[in-house]
Amino acid sequence: MTAAAAVAPRGIARFRPRTRRRELILLAIVTITLGVGGLSLGMQRTGRPTVEGGTLLAIYVLALFAVHVAQSVAGRRTDQALLPTVGMLGGIGLLLMIRLPQDLVTQRFGGIELGLAQLQLAWLCLGLAIIGTLGIVVRSDAWLRLYKYTWAAIGVALLLLVFALGVDENGSRLTLVVGPFSGQPSELLKVVLVIFLAGYLAEYRPLLATERTSIGPLHVPPLPYLLPMLAMVGVSTGIVIIQKDLGAALLFYVIFLVLLYLATGRASWVALGLALGTIASICLYFLFPTVQERVAIWLDPFADPLGSGFQIVQALHAFARGGLFGVGLGAGLPEIAGRLPIPAVHTDFPLAALGEELGLAGVLAILALFLVVVARGLRIAAAAADTFRALLAAGLAIVVGAQAFVIAAGDLKLIPLTGITLPFISYGGSSLLVNSVVVGLLLALSDRGIEPPPPPRTRGAIMRPLRRSRG
Amino acid sequence: MDPLVTSLWVVRFALLGLMWLFLLAVARVLLRDVRRASGDAGAELGRLVVVASPDGQPAVGATFAVDAVTTLGRDLGSTIVIPDAFASTEHAVITYRGRAWFVEDRGSTNGTYVNGSLIEGVVPLAVGDEIQVGRVRLRLDRGRR
Repeated sequence: MTAAAAVAPRGIARFRPRTRRRELILLAIVTITLGVGGLSLGMQRTGRPTVEGGTLLAIYVLALFAVHVAQSVAGRRTDQALLPTVGMLGGIGLLLMIRLPQDLVTQRFGGIELGLAQLQLAWLCLGLAIIGTLGIVVRSDAWLRLYKYTWAAIGVALLLLVFALGVDENGSRLTLVVGPFSGQPSELLKVVLVIFLAGYLAEYRPLLATERTSIGPLHVPPLPYLLPMLAMVGVSTGIVIIQKDLGAALLFYVIFLVLLYLATGRASWVALGLALGTIASICLYFLFPTVQERVAIWLDPFADPLGSGFQIVQALHAFARGGLFGVGLGAGLPEIAGRLPIPAVHTDFPLAALGEELGLAGVLAILALFLVVVARGLRIAAAAADTFRALLAAGLAIVVGAQAFVIAAGDLKLIPLTGITLPFISYGGSSLLVNSVVVGLLLALSDRGIEPPPPPRTRGAIMRPLRRSRG
Repeated sequence: MDPLVTSLWVVRFALLGLMWLFLLAVARVLLRDVRRASGDAGAELGRLVVVASPDGQPAVGATFAVDAVTTLGRDLGSTIVIPDAFASTEHAVITYRGRAWFVEDRGSTNGTYVNGSLIEGVVPLAVGDEIQVGRVRLRLDRGRR
């Protein structure tokens, strides 16, 4: 036995295939569920036992299993519940897209015209490819940890690019069009924001948690250290507010508060942040007519049921028609004069459509699936090796959870509606791809065997608390 | 009732049922993970149960957690102190290597017995085997998980 022989088993061990039994079982349940869903839709539509959109569903399931096999071959000990859960959510979304009229969104690529479900399937497969790739390839987080300012700069630059070159759509300037592709970079910014905040808070956590500055009777965080973070949050929130993307602004602020609380464990700062957020919201209310309109719709959608309140009123009726167990896939959403009652059903109101056709039981199951993603993320955070990874995992989980909450609550008239997507279910390439990045990163972080974190950088100037100058 | 309507009902509820079945399955995975994580701190590899002890020191029925290396003897520094007159100060050591148990006599005066036979050198130990140190007999059991 030479030294080379002793080294070889270690090299093989890195890529030793490992069965992922639980993932396989869960994916089998997902497959059966989607099959029954397609059957339900087909029977409702045609009156014969056929599976509607069977080819699309089959391709999707194959893609899911491909990711499973790739992960088994790579043999990393990553989380086994995330992929099936996200796969279930994506599959339910795909079922909904198959069920909706296909001409809601069409896009031409060369001579082929793709409908709503085909486009969604293409995005889903791309998303799964991202999840698989990140879950297998990412073995170190240095590229995120060390370049947090670079990431922040890229994120802000993207937003500014949209601001300068973007295309107005539904009254908000969110979309950047490059050739045949269009994307919404504000989706990507939320991930960038989490990476930046996790990196920054992990570095300055000891200071933020111990040091305090007093302004009168108020204990506030040490301002010099908070400023870069506040600047980043302020700039990103400010830009999206000017772009009238209020959902994204709300999401950014929630992410910031949650990560600040996770890093420092101080409820008083969160209270302060909430108070400031409330004041900012009130200011926004008086500054922007859009906000006033949204709040007015939220308070009383029935004031103008055929105009501004139309979507919400229709969504509430849809939920009401659904009842406990729903009317069945394909049986709901009566078309009014050849058009769907809710125009933005595939992006903003998928929950209303699912609420009508799957009922309370279905909606609760979907919300529980989001809860599983969040719980998994927090579990990964709790088991993480160091602060950066913990904050990153928790932040990524909160991104999905908060976004699902904001749009689900908006659909249900619990909070004013803001136009963001329901992760993994809504139609939309940017949203799907970015949420796939989130899940892929979570998968990579869940690996116990991931490269150990670098030793903390001891930079005296930073670790030593600032001295307050006297008189 | 129309068979189509009936089967549609069945399929609809099957879909909802499957969604909840999936959640149940995921919840089981999550629960098992949480249990394992919380069990990590207090988990023991195995345990020794006192089967016979003429002096009542240690008492019959007493259990001791067994770690990767467990020493037995009259010495107060031993992992398991056996204040029996026929036990030596450093009597025996139980080790857990890989996935198996081993016991070794450490040159005691009266020797160590496994299932009634005197041992020499390192001897593999199975769960349920009885070790005799002095006049005290202990049985190796599976640890609490």
